Amino acid sequence: MNPQPLITTTEAVDKALYVIFGISCIALLGVTVAMVYFVWRYSRKRYPQPLSQKDHNVWLEITWTIIPTILVMVMFWYGWDGYLSLRRIPDNAIPIQGSSRMWSWLFTYENGKTSDKLYVPVGQPVNIRLSSEDVLHSFYVPAFRVKRDCVPGMETYAWFVAEEPGSYDLFCAEYCGVAHSSMITTVEAIPAAEFAGWLAEKPVATSPGIGLLQKHGCLGCHSLDGSASVGPTFQGISGRQVTVATDGKNRTLSTDRIYLKKSITDPGADIVEGFPPAMPSYADQIPAEEMEGILDYLMDEEGNKAEDKGPIEAKQPMEKKVEAEVVEEQSVEPTATNKPAIPANPGQTLADQNGCLGCHSIDGTRIVGPSFKGMMERERTIIRGEQKEKILADSDYLTRSIREPSAEVVEGYPAIMPSFPDFSDDDIKALQDWLETLK
Amino acid sequence: MSETTATAANDRGFWGEANYPGIFGWIFSTDHKRIGLLYFWSVLTFFCVGVLLGLLLRLELFAPGETIMSAQTYNATFTLHGVIMIFLFIIPGIPAAFGNLIMPIQIGARDVSFPKLNLFSWWLYITGATLAVTSLFTGGGPPDTGWTFYVPFSAQTSTNVSLAAVAVFILGFSSILTGLNFVTTIHRLRTKGMTWMRIPLFTWSLYATAWIQILATPVIGITVALLFAERVLGTGLFDPAQGGDPIMFQHLFWIYSHPAVYIMVLPGMGVISDIIPVFSRKPAFGYKAIVVSSMAIAFAGSLVWAHHMYTSGISDMAVMIFSFLTFIVAIPSAIKVFNWLATLYEGSILLDPPLLYALSFILLFTIGGLSGLVLGAAAADVHVHDTYFVVGHFHFVMFGGTGMAFFAAMHYWLPKIYGRMYDKTVATVAWGVIIVGFLILYISMKVVGMMGMPRRYYDYVPEFTGLNQLATVGSWILAIGLILMFVNIIHGLFKGDPVEANPWGGASLEWQIPSPPPTENFGEEDPVVTHGPYDFKKAGIL
Repeated sequence: MNPQPLITTTEAVDKALYVIFGISCIALLGVTVAMVYFVWRYSRKRYPQPLSQKDHNVWLEITWTIIPTILVMVMFWYGWDGYLSLRRIPDNAIPIQGSSRMWSWLFTYENGKTSDKLYVPVGQPVNIRLSSEDVLHSFYVPAFRVKRDCVPGMETYAWFVAEEPGSYDLFCAEYCGVAHSSMITTVEAIPAAEFAGWLAEKPVATSPGIGLLQKHGCLGCHSLDGSASVGPTFQGISGRQVTVATDGKNRTLSTDRIYLKKSITDPGADIVEGFPPAMPSYADQIPAEEMEGILDYLMDEEGNKAEDKGPIEAKQPMEKKVEAEVVEEQSVEPTATNKPAIPANPGQTLADQNGCLGCHSIDGTRIVGPSFKGMMERERTIIRGEQKEKILADSDYLTRSIREPSAEVVEGYPAIMPSFPDFSDDDIKALQDWLETLK
Repeated sequence: MSETTATAANDRGFWGEANYPGIFGWIFSTDHKRIGLLYFWSVLTFFCVGVLLGLLLRLELFAPGETIMSAQTYNATFTLHGVIMIFLFIIPGIPAAFGNLIMPIQIGARDVSFPKLNLFSWWLYITGATLAVTSLFTGGGPPDTGWTFYVPFSAQTSTNVSLAAVAVFILGFSSILTGLNFVTTIHRLRTKGMTWMRIPLFTWSLYATAWIQILATPVIGITVALLFAERVLGTGLFDPAQGGDPIMFQHLFWIYSHPAVYIMVLPGMGVISDIIPVFSRKPAFGYKAIVVSSMAIAFAGSLVWAHHMYTSGISDMAVMIFSFLTFIVAIPSAIKVFNWLATLYEGSILLDPPLLYALSFILLFTIGGLSGLVLGAAAADVHVHDTYFVVGHFHFVMFGGTGMAFFAAMHYWLPKIYGRMYDKTVATVAWGVIIVGFLILYISMKVVGMMGMPRRYYDYVPEFTGLNQLATVGSWILAIGLILMFVNIIHGLFKGDPVEANPWGGASLEWQIPSPPPTENFGEEDPVVTHGPYDFKKAGIL
């Protein structure tokens, strides 16, 4: 294999820019010179009567149709060719998740580490997988000529390689509301070895509370140091006297836990005087546990530290890890009461991830299929082929009904469940353990 | 005494004959010239408001951070600047104002086909404009979405987007009905001898424009209606959490709004195509090519909308197709420029104000068009999309193109309508000041955009400061030029010297009747046309 030299995004875009600029400058010069010359040469002072009444010339017109056609095709080609380079991700590109929301960026690296600046190793292509949690944003790094919109509900990407160490501006280029122009961060290009070291570092610098504020983008608009921003500062927010507008009427209150929670879930209800009604609601975006963490931090920073929850990791890697942990932790007893936010039982996690709970309830109610409640070790009437049969719902039956659901169908239910052949024996065991707890 | 008044009224043409007293003689008139003037003064008023907002935006950007207004105010201001300039000035500007004033005369008609519908269109325009203004002071305050109303932001913001959407919906109908009226008029009301190949190029451009108005404008109506439903009913058509797609909104929006660019610029090209022959005393070079290219632009321009969306997440195949079609549509525009230049060749050129403004159209439109090639090329667009380069580009095309054509039309046709002439020297000086301010303002924008400054930025990083200050200074020079031009022309229209029927030596029909024109234009007998619109020999000019 003879690998082709990498065409950087900057080179790809600049080539198209230079070609088009070159052609355009010549065309503009030609048009301007011809116009000024004709106006001077054929002025009415010089020629009180026009020299001719020519109103067409077929060959001239054909010529000035064909030449621009060729030129625009050349320009199209350079543009398209460069664009393909932007879309072709090099094989060795490091994937980084780039999440955007009003009005901040969060980058998540392969090992789960997160940062609000984008750290990249020099000389190594990176592929930023872009997503948005609310409205449209656009990932734009002028130095590398890359731009791609972040669209809610779909993943887009942009790759680039930083060839020189340095700090490069990263802008949001798609209008996203009042603090659009503050949605700025930087790309920090550092030598590869330094990058590896940075990546391995545990993010111990910040308290869990600050980690949560960062994770949910609060700090894009609310400062921690008392400085004015889009929204009120968090410094000294606990017990602060504020004047808010509620339904157009001003009232003064002292910020407490209830008020803070309301202003996160229903920010439009009470607007602090002097600030725009710009904050979106985070009602469905912050899990209950994290909401408590944020409120703990805002109300009392010290108390939050005492809990020592360790560094907060981003949501996505955590979800992925749960699956891996399933096999290892099969014997773990459900501890749902202690840790409500993390799905405690691997069997429940499996059922949740595979969509079982869409058709099978856990509380005895009938949805599409039979409820999971009290399902195991119960006698059921099933239909096998044309015949009715009574069987005991044991682990063999469970295996069959997952891998080949249409072979035996419980009486009174439709035979519509798809097969789940990917469930391993361990998975089924985990599921059974969980089902047995649902008495 | 009464006899003298009667004579004076007759000399004043259509000005002297109103069906109703006072203001009602205007707002209930079905005379195409009176309706044209209603439009002219309405769009001019909104243009001045738009300019004022633009100056405020530039002032805010004079320095990083807060200069004169808050971020929320800034966002509302640029939204308003865009909505006013596009929906209330440029789109109705030349077609509704000068189209109504001149087009029926150019084809030898007494009026448009549906005079009452014409008046109704103006009333719709005023209703839409009133609602747009109302949206500023009611509900959640002035809309802050930009004129593009992109979802999901526009579906979520608490500002008064819903009412603004209704306003755009109504303005769309005003535009559709004007288009319908013009197409019918040009087909049905041409006088004897006015064959298709004798129609002046201004009227031809209105014909091409009118078809786009009829065919494309309903799409913006649908788009804003869906946005309204999204906000009020929560239909979720554009919300991915409910199976919708925000990119679909962009498609719908640009399916109208790109052809709308040609609604804006084609009539301007028509004005230029009419002015250059008159001041060169030569027939329009390649008349048929200009007609064909107008229709080609109207058709092909409807197929390039997604070139606004290269970075939006659409497929690479779509990017290729739309980039290719975009370059195709550049060809007819280039042909027009060459035709205008060839018309000047071997002519007898008089640099009167209408020609000056027309020539600056060619220069500025060419710069704007060439920078459009940067945006049409897929790779280059990725860098400059949604930056100040785009802002500079469309101001060159829209203001340097359509705006200059509007000024050219003012200097060319208003003396005909008012029967009085402005001061030509002041008009020339004003032109010079405008061009200098214009170039400083918008070239700075293009450069700062090329450096990477995104558009719709209230605040910017320090390295962009110098160019932003230069642009702001340019905006002041431009404003001085505009004031000079408007004061001069308005003073001339009311106090200037009377003009004869044909002050410029034109060969088309509007120059064969008195200035100002009589109420039904041609008196008892319809004119009979025996030669083309630029046949200066047969018209007796040469």
